[in-house]
Amino acid sequence: MNRASHGSFILLRRLRMPLVVLIGVYAASVLGFTLVPGTTPDGAPWRMSFLHAFYFVSFLGTTIGLGEIPYPFSDAQRLWATASIYATVVAWLYSIGALFGVLQDPLFRRISHETGVARKVRGLREPFYLLCGYDDTGYRVARELTEDGTRVVVLDIDPARVDGADVDDHVVHVPGLVGDASDPTALTIAGLTHPQCAAVIALTGSDTINTKVALTARLLNRDLPVICVARDHVWHPRLAAAGADHIINPFDTFAERVAIAIRTPSLHVIYEALTTQAGTAAAAATQVPRGRWVLCGWGPFARSLRRQLLALQIEVLVVGLDLDDSCDTKDCLRGDPTDSAVLRRADVEHADAVIAGTSVDIDNLAIVLAARKLNKRLFIIARQTKRRNAAVFRAAPADLVMQSSYVVAAEVLRDLRAPLLSAFLRRARDEDEAWAAALLQRLRDSVGSDVLESWSVSIDPVSMPAAHEALVAGESVALGRLLTRVDGSLRALRAVPLMLLRGREHVAVPALDHLIESGDKLLFCGRALARTRMRGMALSRSLAPQAAVSAAATGPLPAEG
Amino acid sequence: MTPERVLFAFVIVLALTLNVGFTVGDISNPEQHNRYELFGAIVVSLVATVMKFGDRSPLGSTMLATSLVADLQLIAAAACWGLYAGFGNTLSGGQMATVVSLAIGALVANVISVVLLVIEVANLRR
Repeated sequence: MNRASHGSFILLRRLRMPLVVLIGVYAASVLGFTLVPGTTPDGAPWRMSFLHAFYFVSFLGTTIGLGEIPYPFSDAQRLWATASIYATVVAWLYSIGALFGVLQDPLFRRISHETGVARKVRGLREPFYLLCGYDDTGYRVARELTEDGTRVVVLDIDPARVDGADVDDHVVHVPGLVGDASDPTALTIAGLTHPQCAAVIALTGSDTINTKVALTARLLNRDLPVICVARDHVWHPRLAAAGADHIINPFDTFAERVAIAIRTPSLHVIYEALTTQAGTAAAAATQVPRGRWVLCGWGPFARSLRRQLLALQIEVLVVGLDLDDSCDTKDCLRGDPTDSAVLRRADVEHADAVIAGTSVDIDNLAIVLAARKLNKRLFIIARQTKRRNAAVFRAAPADLVMQSSYVVAAEVLRDLRAPLLSAFLRRARDEDEAWAAALLQRLRDSVGSDVLESWSVSIDPVSMPAAHEALVAGESVALGRLLTRVDGSLRALRAVPLMLLRGREHVAVPALDHLIESGDKLLFCGRALARTRMRGMALSRSLAPQAAVSAAATGPLPAEG
Repeated sequence: MTPERVLFAFVIVLALTLNVGFTVGDISNPEQHNRYELFGAIVVSLVATVMKFGDRSPLGSTMLATSLVADLQLIAAAACWGLYAGFGNTLSGGQMATVVSLAIGALVANVISVVLLVIEVANLRR
């Protein structure tokens, strides 16, 4: 029996007694009126017919009015009418009370809630993402996806957070199910096995539950992409075994960004420009010092950062109360990092950077303030755990604020919107500063201070018909032809190809004379106008001639395009 | 044996017996059909319908359907009677035949209900 019919089953079964009482009281009242003797106005003996009796009892129980019909009652009839009034009113109150009782019943409400959500999810006729966990991260992801017009279904165990999905007024309606994400039934109701489910995203606060979601998704819907958050490295092998397509570790991601900012500042600028909204290539590089770092607090976050920093041969001192065996004594200091005496013992006055990385926001703010007081030149990174504290952290004298939910949401969105961009960023991490600086200079030359957008194009009959036709006809097509305007000016579009994907082979920053093939996937970045122009070329099925490219590619930067 | 099952079977069989009692006799002779018996048959049939609400047995839905058919036929019979007798008239032979034939229809439905009840009980034995 499915859960929907279970709900109506409960309703009917609980209403059995009230309905029997109602029928019994009505039957007794009607029968009584047909038996109790009365008289017509002429004085002749008279008894009510069943029709009259039923009519009289019907309005008696519900409204008590209309008077005595068809003739004034005898005393015996009045006595019976009085008894009937009390009996029917009580029977109605009891029945209606029982009905509301069932409607208020937690079990019935849960089942009808599940039935309602299941109906909404079944009715989805466009691809949707199943989001498990709707806290700060889930909210950000849902908001961005719905702003793109994508449908999202939310599953969370906390009714208050699911209600939040309604209150947060997303652009498109977000159905929310209250349920345990580690329960396969709840996942199925929320649409895990729905043919339109595009991916399942496990963002709950527990790595255990996220792993369970990944496993359930793999077993119940084999081909469904799974994006999973895991804060602790212990879970990574299990998630990989469960076949999670993307494992996002907010601490590793952030630690890598810090490492990139230290090692290749230009790449950090590109990274920020590509991954943040309204990011530009013209932004100045964040100056993150090498020198000596003091890391306050111990846990997965601090561990990730320490590993990245040590790999860059940076001296790290860990200060914390709950240090474990993985800290050796010479680069660790046991003590409360919120205490300035402890910070002084850690020699913060002569350190270059401090990371306030405990899991408590107040502690981190206290560390930031205490450290800033001791040393004005410090580079301070603060970790923020709750979205609602954003204003306080903005006001705090920290150079960089790490917010886990923001980092995760950005990673999830990039994986969903631009999978090629993630591949490019992974690839770019292995390059050196000279390579990154050259790319940054090229971006600045061609895009300037405009907002940097990135987009993917595949060489197929739908998204690039002209290029595809030329390739099918046996013509060789250089990449530069896709980046040349077709309006006669033959100027280059203000965009830079970042990556070419052919099968499993990646080419980072391909040259403009690189020959493309049918089926290639390309990642471009540039100004929004260039993206629009490229889309226009696809729509008008046009392609710049081969001869134009070399001139445009080597010529001076055009004034516009 | 639970009191609930006893009550359930009692109501279903009573609905059948009252229905039989009303229909037995000359179909067109108003003298041979008691209006109180029809009233009783309707009330018991309604109660039987409600008792079948939310019955979890495999035959529950079929029993609910037959019970609803019986209600419909009996209420139609009572409504016809009420309309024909509306102006203090006694019923003609043809009018009475209409009322009783509607009740006979309900009787068939009630018989099916009882048969289903017996089948269900027989299955339980095994």
